[in-house]
Amino acid sequence: MAYPYRHEKETRVLSEHFGDPVARTLDGYRKRGGYQALARAIEMGRDAVIDEVKASGLRGRGGAGFPTGVKWSFMPREKKGPHYLVINADESEPGAFKDRELLRWTPHQMIEGALIGAYAIQAEHVYIYCRGEFFEPAQVVARAIEEAYNAGIAGRNVLGTGVAIDVTLHLGAGAYICGEETAQLNSLEGRRGQPRIKPPFPAVMGAFGRPTTINNVETVSAVPHIINRGSAWYKGFGTEKSAGTKLYNVSGHVVRRGNFEFPLGFPMHELIYDVCGGIRDGRQLKAVIPGGSSVPILRADECDIDLDYESVIAAGSMLGTASVIVMDDRTCMVKQVRRMVDFYTHESCGQCTPCREGTAWLGKILRRIEEGQGTEADLDLLLDLSANMTGTTICVLSDSAAAPVVSSIAKFKDEYLGHIHDGACPVAAVAVA
Amino acid sequence: MANPKEARDSAGPAPAGAATAAPPPPADTVSCTIDGVPVTVPKGTRIIEAAEIAGVGISHYCYHPGLSAPAMCRQCLVEVQGMPKLQPACVTTVADGQVVLTESDRSRAARESNLEFYLLNHPLDCPICDKAGECKLQDFTHAEGRSHGRSVEPKRVLNQDDFGGAVLYEGDRCILCTRCVRFMREVAGNDALCVVQRGHRSVIDTFFEQGLEGDLWASNIVDICPVGALLSKDFLHKARVWDLDKEPSICPNCSQGCNITIETRDNLVARLRPRANSDVNSYWMCDVGRYGYDWFNRGNVPTGTLGNADTIGGGPNPTGRVEQPMVRDRTGRLRAASWQEAVRALVERLTALRGRGGVALVSPMFANEDAGLAARLLEVLGGGERLYRSEMAAEEVVCPGFPRLARRRELAANGRGLSAMGFRRVGDDSGAGALDALDVTGKLLLVLGDDLADSGESFGAGAGLFVYLGAFPGAAERNADFILPVTYFSEQEGTFTNLEGRVQRFWPALEPPPLARPAWQVLGVVLAGLEDAPAPASAASAFLRLGQLHDAFGGLSYDQLGARGALLNDPVRLAADSRR
Amino acid sequence: MMGNGATGATGATGGTTPLQGGNPGWAGERGEFTQLSEADVRGSEYVGRRPANGGVGGAVSSMPYMLPEKDPNAPLFEGPYAERLQKILARYPDRQGALHPVLNMAEELHGHLTPQALSRVAEVLGLAPAYVRGMATFYTMYNRAPVGRYFVQVCTNVACNLCGGDAVLQAFLAETGTEPGETTPDGLFTVMEVECLGACGFPTAVQVNSRYFENVEPGDVPEIVRQLRAGEKSTDAGDGGAN
Repeated sequence: MAYPYRHEKETRVLSEHFGDPVARTLDGYRKRGGYQALARAIEMGRDAVIDEVKASGLRGRGGAGFPTGVKWSFMPREKKGPHYLVINADESEPGAFKDRELLRWTPHQMIEGALIGAYAIQAEHVYIYCRGEFFEPAQVVARAIEEAYNAGIAGRNVLGTGVAIDVTLHLGAGAYICGEETAQLNSLEGRRGQPRIKPPFPAVMGAFGRPTTINNVETVSAVPHIINRGSAWYKGFGTEKSAGTKLYNVSGHVVRRGNFEFPLGFPMHELIYDVCGGIRDGRQLKAVIPGGSSVPILRADECDIDLDYESVIAAGSMLGTASVIVMDDRTCMVKQVRRMVDFYTHESCGQCTPCREGTAWLGKILRRIEEGQGTEADLDLLLDLSANMTGTTICVLSDSAAAPVVSSIAKFKDEYLGHIHDGACPVAAVAVA
Repeated sequence: MANPKEARDSAGPAPAGAATAAPPPPADTVSCTIDGVPVTVPKGTRIIEAAEIAGVGISHYCYHPGLSAPAMCRQCLVEVQGMPKLQPACVTTVADGQVVLTESDRSRAARESNLEFYLLNHPLDCPICDKAGECKLQDFTHAEGRSHGRSVEPKRVLNQDDFGGAVLYEGDRCILCTRCVRFMREVAGNDALCVVQRGHRSVIDTFFEQGLEGDLWASNIVDICPVGALLSKDFLHKARVWDLDKEPSICPNCSQGCNITIETRDNLVARLRPRANSDVNSYWMCDVGRYGYDWFNRGNVPTGTLGNADTIGGGPNPTGRVEQPMVRDRTGRLRAASWQEAVRALVERLTALRGRGGVALVSPMFANEDAGLAARLLEVLGGGERLYRSEMAAEEVVCPGFPRLARRRELAANGRGLSAMGFRRVGDDSGAGALDALDVTGKLLLVLGDDLADSGESFGAGAGLFVYLGAFPGAAERNADFILPVTYFSEQEGTFTNLEGRVQRFWPALEPPPLARPAWQVLGVVLAGLEDAPAPASAASAFLRLGQLHDAFGGLSYDQLGARGALLNDPVRLAADSRR
Repeated sequence: MMGNGATGATGATGGTTPLQGGNPGWAGERGEFTQLSEADVRGSEYVGRRPANGGVGGAVSSMPYMLPEKDPNAPLFEGPYAERLQKILARYPDRQGALHPVLNMAEELHGHLTPQALSRVAEVLGLAPAYVRGMATFYTMYNRAPVGRYFVQVCTNVACNLCGGDAVLQAFLAETGTEPGETTPDGLFTVMEVECLGACGFPTAVQVNSRYFENVEPGDVPEIVRQLRAGEKSTDAGDGGAN
């Protein structure tokens, strides 16, 4: 069963059942070993579950890469009121499309992982915060929740153990910033999705003023496998610091776009040229954004790296969500960077001055350059503004908007100069639509 | 959201007073240096507050001590040694041994850059902006902004929006600090404002056509707006703020005693604004008090025209205000007299009435000092009834976010002070009535300030002596033997006692007509002719005299009252007063 | 593709098989889900038609955010919707928490959020109307003005943009004869640019009401518009997205 394409080199753990419509049903999931890990986790006890996840080396897959077991251990051990687990299914980082596949093909895998997590942190309620645009995947998840309740998996008496965990699907309504965890909490509480100042951290004061953990869909989807097969097995994948498997979601100018699961540390070159079949239409690779639009751009000659958290940082970028955006030699970098900045302008929540004003200003300057109305001084101004927008705001959206500007000017300055001096795009002759 | 200012206040004078108060136990304090200035503050104090104590100003927009701090304007970012990122001073608490640098290159660069961002879409229309001169964007940009803008992009243009009530919104000038939104939610308890849209498209708005109308506290948002985005319809294009003369005063429009500043131009009140006093009104005042200043202007004419030869000495009086002492002559006509003549004649008449006693009817809009000497005069003459009439509102309206503050039922500024001096309230809730019942036959009738609007034709006709001290002769013209021009509270120094029993000072903000004198001065001079007591030479000594006459004021002095006021010696609980 | 959108079949190279048939609009039809039906991929049969009262509590706030049939004057919170409201309220520790799903309900029925609807939602949840307005306007999926029966949102963000998102947007605008955000006189179409839809592997992603169309190329647009016009494709998604 091919979805959309299965490469022989893949190590499919989370994505094993992608493309298998039966596996998304409760019966299908159970026949494939589903919900055994939940039963086992409750047998093990909370501390053992947290220890196991800590030992597995699982790190948050939402972009920041924070160790999941450690995050769980921040929750108060002594419970003085409700605890909450929020599953971040607000996938909206340009380039990222992994959670959508997990939601629509393996909803029970996520629910099982979430229930295990909720059990471990003594959360009585799991909110699955799914972006509103994902209406179709949300329907699948909704059906799975219905099945889980009907089968006594979620609710007042999880698997007959007496543990009570509710699961609620909550749909967002169109705001990228709600992927940031404190903005997501505000949105869940019925507020404007503006990031909060930390401290207090969510584990102290999260959703509805109560201790809360926020985990990404992919993160919790890995948990049942860790409980079933052990932390040692999971840690056997990947590198010392970046353990386990990861969904690499590749988009842009490759022959085969899609989600591909490999142990962390998979070589980017191999991913692009072998797994994804190379660059479309026989073109040359120009640049790659390795972790979604918020991370610095890598030039083609910087792409011979392994895709794990540490190696990508060493190369001057970040793994983020492992959302690899591939650009061929016809790509106008000025246009694409301007498009990304327009995105951040549109999505800035508007609280912090440098971000609210800076994103829009960057966009206006970039558009002028793109249209041949720029000057060389504009490049210095762009860099100065980017510096002023970095590290000066409550969340990192501002930094994210500046990152592609800075990295593209550093790496593709000639292209900017071409726009400025010739009034037109130097790659226009072969430019995309 | 709890009001952080209130929380701070409830802990007494600290931390605001920590610099001068004796140091609290070391366990509860932390020490740090801010720009090299060592400072010790209670644990939990925020850098911006500690800096104020250390005498270091940190520029800011979204932070306001009376509101929650969202740390979103990013203007107060400061360098804290050992921390990789600049920290918002408004939410970062002081830690022991911390070294804060507000003047480091990084801190300065961050402020300069932030100001540049603010000006990107700012219209720079200071010449036509009411806020110019007291605008924080103007001030901070002048101090630390770039001298030249680097943006060549078109600016965002929005229309003026009427927020309803007394407030206009100029979206172009708005820096989205959200002080107004937070004030309405946290203090006014009326979520009438919101930020609509997001990012650079954000603006402040109301719920469509539903605005601020009817909200008693809304105009405070004009004060706390750091720029000219929120404008008062009442003050719109009325004056440049640098042309205003400002004097601290007490709002006379109810018995709460909100601390205010009277701001005048050419001897006319242009606006009232609240002055911070966490014992009384925090940073706020109600709109009824704020806009109730027309009567201070009544009888005043702009400087320049006042003192014109035509209006002195019997010339046409355009305002109707008493401009000189009037004494009724043997023919029954009121005749202008000099103060010397009038006082001499009055002392003579009073001496003849000694032992007969009388009635003193004093307006509770007059100062403690004025009322106190009026009471004394009655006492010297043999005593009698001390009365006042005052208006009462139908209900008390408490400020939800600062419950010590309310628009009180008792609408007179100094009813409490008069009560403390043995005055009794008579009449109805409109401040009228009870005049016909007064028996003054053959006795002294002393009226201070009460307009006697509802008095009958013969009111005071049978009195042994009818002395009227006021600004407008009104009904007193019919029968008063003496009409003596006195100043309003806003034209003199003095004190009011608020409902809680707090005695608070006010200062002269307006120039009175040339011959009007404070009532305490007139009465003091008259008393000096009747008893062995020197006339008080100043309001301060009149106040000390009050302390000798009434235990409630005993031991109090102007120095002691200071800027925050002090409680009477027999404080009646506020709750009991307000919930009767 | 790549500036050559007219033929719609050229993008399939390498590991994918050529486009089968002339019925574009979802990833399967590019041959990528070789053995799966569209219903398999969308999960339509698994989902089935969900009841208007929201079904089981945990899934209650997942109803379609917009139905093709829009009635801005439809009463809110009546019949099965009243039932759904009660179920929603039971899922959150306070009433404000229910704001998103309750606004969703209003938009589902009305197609956009009118001041009257915001006011009614505020009343139901015990919130200030201005607060609700501030919250709702933060989120782009809450329409502030009426939109057409088919609300077409074309992703032009980086991953789709690299693969011709701008051209797809232009194609939709040309085909419907509208400017961005404008509704056709017959009330059928409103076309807009949208930020990343999270389907970057299937460029260009287009959302029509609740339903995604994937791998859309400019040449596919006339056919998609024709099908929508003819009512051949359901965008209701209340039925799980099946035709």
